[in-house]
Amino acid sequence: MFASGVVLYFSIKMLLESEIEEELYSTKNRVELILKSDPEHQGIPPVIEVEKVTNLRRKVLNDTLIYDPLQDEIELFRQLSETKLINGQQYRITVRAMVIESENILVAIVSTFLIIILFAFIFLFYFNKNRNKKLWDPFFINLDKIKSFSIKEMNQLDLRESEIIEFDELNKELNSLTAKVHSDYQNLKQFTEDISHEIQTPLAVMQAKIDTLVDGLHINQEQYQQFSSLENDLRKLKNLNKRLILLAKIDNNQFVNDELISLNLIFEDAVQNLTELTPAVFKLESNTNNLLKIDRSLAVVLCDNLLSNAIKHNLEDNEITIKIEVTKVQVLNRGIMPLKHPDQLFNRFYKESRSRDSNGLGLSIVKKICDQYGFLPSYSFVELEFNTHKNRYHCFEIQFNNVKY
Amino acid sequence: MKFLIAEDEIELQESIAKYLSKESNLCEVASDYLEASEKLEMYEYDLIILDINLVTGSGLDLLKALKKQHKKCAVIIISANNSLENKLEGLDIGADDYITKPFHLAELNSRIKAVLRRGKFGGDTELVFQEIRLDTIARAAYVNEEPIVLTRKEYDLLLFFITNQGRVLSKSIIAEHLWGDDSDMLDSFDFIYVHINNLRKKLTSAGAKYIHTAYGSGYKFIVD
Repeated sequence: MFASGVVLYFSIKMLLESEIEEELYSTKNRVELILKSDPEHQGIPPVIEVEKVTNLRRKVLNDTLIYDPLQDEIELFRQLSETKLINGQQYRITVRAMVIESENILVAIVSTFLIIILFAFIFLFYFNKNRNKKLWDPFFINLDKIKSFSIKEMNQLDLRESEIIEFDELNKELNSLTAKVHSDYQNLKQFTEDISHEIQTPLAVMQAKIDTLVDGLHINQEQYQQFSSLENDLRKLKNLNKRLILLAKIDNNQFVNDELISLNLIFEDAVQNLTELTPAVFKLESNTNNLLKIDRSLAVVLCDNLLSNAIKHNLEDNEITIKIEVTKVQVLNRGIMPLKHPDQLFNRFYKESRSRDSNGLGLSIVKKICDQYGFLPSYSFVELEFNTHKNRYHCFEIQFNNVKY
Repeated sequence: MKFLIAEDEIELQESIAKYLSKESNLCEVASDYLEASEKLEMYEYDLIILDINLVTGSGLDLLKALKKQHKKCAVIIISANNSLENKLEGLDIGADDYITKPFHLAELNSRIKAVLRRGKFGGDTELVFQEIRLDTIARAAYVNEEPIVLTRKEYDLLLFFITNQGRVLSKSIIAEHLWGDDSDMLDSFDFIYVHINNLRKKLTSAGAKYIHTAYGSGYKFIVD
């Protein structure tokens, strides 16, 4: 743009100069013609001047600055001065023409350019905007679809087709990728389920062998202790497997008998069962009679896991508090300090402390059930005033969003 | 009693047979679908322990065939799948109980006895052990015909002890029998001690001392 401006500037300048020179020569020739018929002609100063001279001088073509009284400023003129012999008299004819100043040319060029650029910019801006919108529309629609893609839902991505080959290729690749992801996920799920079921039989064999051995009369106390410890590990394996099967079942949406269930009743039942199993004392506080839409067995599992977690991590045998409110349920047990990694709490096999004998699946089952129903599980460490002294609690809370009355 | 154990896992089949034979039961075994159906055609059994997944066929088909022949024979299904649907399907077809692998043999034993006690198999609804008598319909216990007051769990515990008399029962076997899945929730079975102790006190005060500690941490219900 700049280079073309410079070229334009010089070419216009040269063009103007040659044009002026041409004009000067033709004016001079006219003056010569007039002088032939009228030897006393004076010309029109300052544009045309005629002098009678005695000596011959060379033709001169140059620039000069002359004050123009009409415009009241000094202007640049191009002048041609030549001595000619007409009718035996030497005349010096000087013709002048006002030159357009370089400055003016420059201003004209630059402003023209600016206007053109501005218009081109505005035009291109709107043109491109429209064009791009049309062009990228399928892309953004597909992007939204990809964002909402969930591995658990089996439906395909259903990407929008576009006229652009690259996007179509991308869609093709994405479709095959998601199909693969889906099938891998299905395989993995199936694998977990299959392996869990396959493990049941060897576990049963081991269990039965230990039972028959212990039942025989030919073992001593030390051997019995060994078998007991073996059986204990076997029990852990059984529990682990049972929970993995449960997780797989929830994943496979095998719990579909949603009904309206009173949380109060579920927790009351659980507390009643648990008081036979643990010295811990439960306090059930409820200020509502919520009915929750959920599969009954999952509600029981949810409740059991929350309570058993509280029992396992309770400080000594302090009271465990269950608070049922309209939109949430809280389970509080005494603790000394907050958990170090609460963000990993709901992960599979996450254990805060090595010392505990838990299998690390209880809370991930809670999370899975919550995910299924859109509940929000959370953990916090709270300090509550109780009989004038402060107690510190681990608090597990589940927020509901589909509470029915 | 004559039992048929239809289970394709030989080790498990042997263990079950060995465990049940101890109480002078006659245990026959079948390792696949064909063998099981042949034996069922030829002989009469009091009870069949039936694995659903027999290598060469489904135990459920065997059960259907059995029910068609109107044989008076109790059936307990054992399965690796503990889904409710499977359980209900098995019970609908006519099984008398359903137990999920892995299980304790003592648990299987107590289920077998519970099934056989039911009227339709001509079993006795009363259970007698020395001076103790259990009325399994009224769920009441008597020592020397004097009623003793037991909690629900204590009654279940006593019933479990009597059905598995003379056998060593570990705390986890007892816990799993009495509390089922709930017992998974806890890591220690020390709470069992409280219940056993209470039952023992009640029996002892009525003059029946049969609960013995075995190997320091297990229990055995036996006449000295």
